[in-house]
Amino acid sequence: MTRFVVIFLLVLVCLFTLEMQTGVQREVIEPFTAVLASISAAIIQPFDDSVLSYGKVLQFTPGGFAVSIEAGCNGVEASIVLIAAILAYPASWRARGAAIAVGLLAVQLMNILRIISLFYLGNWNLDVFTWVHLYLWPALIMLDVLVVFIVFLHYLSRQPGASRHAAA
Amino acid sequence: MPLPERHHLLQFVLFVFVLLIPCFALWSFLSAALVTPVIGLANLILSHWFPDIVNVVYQQGADAMLMTRLDEIDGQLVPTDVTDAGLGFKANTRIVSYSIPFYAALHFATEKKDYLANFFWGLLAIYPFILLGLISICMKDLMVGFGTIFLDQAGVLVPGPGLIGISYQLSVLIVPTLLPVAVWAWQSRDTPLLRSLLAAASP
Repeated sequence: MTRFVVIFLLVLVCLFTLEMQTGVQREVIEPFTAVLASISAAIIQPFDDSVLSYGKVLQFTPGGFAVSIEAGCNGVEASIVLIAAILAYPASWRARGAAIAVGLLAVQLMNILRIISLFYLGNWNLDVFTWVHLYLWPALIMLDVLVVFIVFLHYLSRQPGASRHAAA
Repeated sequence: MPLPERHHLLQFVLFVFVLLIPCFALWSFLSAALVTPVIGLANLILSHWFPDIVNVVYQQGADAMLMTRLDEIDGQLVPTDVTDAGLGFKANTRIVSYSIPFYAALHFATEKKDYLANFFWGLLAIYPFILLGLISICMKDLMVGFGTIFLDQAGVLVPGPGLIGISYQLSVLIVPTLLPVAVWAWQSRDTPLLRSLLAAASP
């Protein structure tokens, strides 16, 4: 347990500090966030053609309500927590790689759902938007991370060889 | 009758979803009262740590108002002893205290024997981090608002801007959601949900 906690915190702080660097924000995080906005718009547009995206902004046209996807709203922090937990847990690198790939997909799917729901909530009521955005959705995203990690543990428990061949 | 092992996770997720809304709704009404001790402690710590800058931290609903001993006159920051004349910063304590309803939902969604005592101990573990989060927010505000006047105080140990920035980001973006999960996982390690998984998956 001590080993898990130490590795988890170490990886978490390293990745988080890396994410906060200006160069990483400019070259990686912001383009990634813009892709999230584009994907969200692409999902919405078949059902609602009054929506467009530019950069990291999602907006109703013409000149309607808009949301800008900022740091903390792109699922990167939740992904970092998930990566740190999976890397800290004893398992084969193959199992870890698969868990990280599936986990990141799960987190980002949930995050796109969050962006779209917040976009419509904000257009309807800003107070509700603020409450759900600041408090409820972060908890739901972390719950998603927790469920992915528990499923990872469940997978490991069914594959006894995976933990015995740990290469941490 | 105990649930089959594979159903524990489904039951847990379902119960968390059911409990999240009422827990967050209850916290919305109680959040001001819940952070009163935190704001009182933040006032003690910050006014003693930075006596030349921080005048008082007081509660305004669920917000903390940090009043400083500096006022702005003609674009210049000047010292003032008048409480209401100092520049103030408002901090939304809910962005660090929503760890409480999240922890409550996780805790009460898990099948265990002693709910209330464990919940009390869990809250005791979470409260210091809410305090740290509020202090991080206040220090970030002081750093952004006053710059070198805050960072270069004579005879006062002030963390570097990088450390203040990272601790603020950690306190706001990661700790409020990660800490409840960590406390819940530690307290639930002997529950049917986690016991079999941890035992089977451990090397």
